[in-house]
Amino acid sequence: MKHKLSVLVPALLAGLMLHASAMAADAAEYKETLARAQETLRDAESKVQLWSTSEILLLDAEAAAASGDFELAVALANEARLHGELAVATAEREKKTWQKHVPK
Amino acid sequence: MKRFLIACFLLVLAANVYATPEQDRLALREFFAQRFPDLDLNEMINGLYAFDEGAREQWLEMEDFPPYEIAIEEGEGLFNTPFANGKSYADCFENGGIGIKQNYPRFDTESGEIITLEYAINQCRTDNGEEPLPWLTGPLAAISAYMAYTSRGNLMSVVIPDDPRAVAAYESGKEYYYTRRGQLEFACENCHMQSAGNLLRADRLSGMLGQATHWPVYRSKWGEIGTLENRFMECNLQVRAKPYEAQSRVYRELEYFLSYMSNGMEMNGPASRR
Repeated sequence: MKHKLSVLVPALLAGLMLHASAMAADAAEYKETLARAQETLRDAESKVQLWSTSEILLLDAEAAAASGDFELAVALANEARLHGELAVATAEREKKTWQKHVPK
Repeated sequence: MKRFLIACFLLVLAANVYATPEQDRLALREFFAQRFPDLDLNEMINGLYAFDEGAREQWLEMEDFPPYEIAIEEGEGLFNTPFANGKSYADCFENGGIGIKQNYPRFDTESGEIITLEYAINQCRTDNGEEPLPWLTGPLAAISAYMAYTSRGNLMSVVIPDDPRAVAAYESGKEYYYTRRGQLEFACENCHMQSAGNLLRADRLSGMLGQATHWPVYRSKWGEIGTLENRFMECNLQVRAKPYEAQSRVYRELEYFLSYMSNGMEMNGPASRR
């Protein structure tokens, strides 16, 4: 029994430490992803092209992070960033093409 | 000689790229004249009812007891109620505020801003020490409805003065109208020019001409009277674009452009729509 405990306790401690470090990495990753998403959305907004769906995703990401689900939080923030990138792409394309639709 | 030829080339290029507001308006009328050769374009002030005979009949019946009537009465009462300082709305507007909606939005040379009628109403309130009213529905829309009612029959007469700021505001509004946006990537033009008169599920789409003559509108969907900006926001949400703040510069410039396109058409607000 003593022998078993001497193996189990360090293993358990190591497991807990690993889990904590994984959590910390996820939280950091979320922060980084969120910052990137926010920057992209600001760019889209400055180009008068923000989607109505993007900020909702960020709010959902925030809620997921607050509940400790960083995997979901990162996924949602990434999706928001993608929305921003697509909106910016639309803005850049439209800047060159909108005139073509004006009756001459 | 070489310089002269280059100057001529640039002039021709500019003429092809840049159209004046009046050229835009005439080209738009021509677009719809070709699109709907049998339609009297002046009918387009009635929106979808210009295209849909069945819906038009129902709408005309509804006009016997129009749902916006209460708003006109409420607006008249509010319009004639003096502010705490003894002044009133009539003191803020030319002709005492009667029969002037066709001149809005207008360009204010002093501030360089586009002033919509609703913006001017709230400006009148704050200039006289009153709190501004909420922009989209309620008392402000009712006052606007009353002022629109007194302007019925006048012709839309929005002016774009020879001021680069006014022209820039018009051009921004125009760019907004023709630019695709939102997750669904729709421009105003996609629905109200390309697809005008077509069905979108159960709703027939109105055309761009005359789109600014009949506001504010009682929409059955809203269950109350609301301003044109309320509709802009709704359109934005329908294509999943983030709406702007009410009376933001973006919307005021859009309204400036849209209203100019209806110049010469009869004012017929307030109106009712599905």
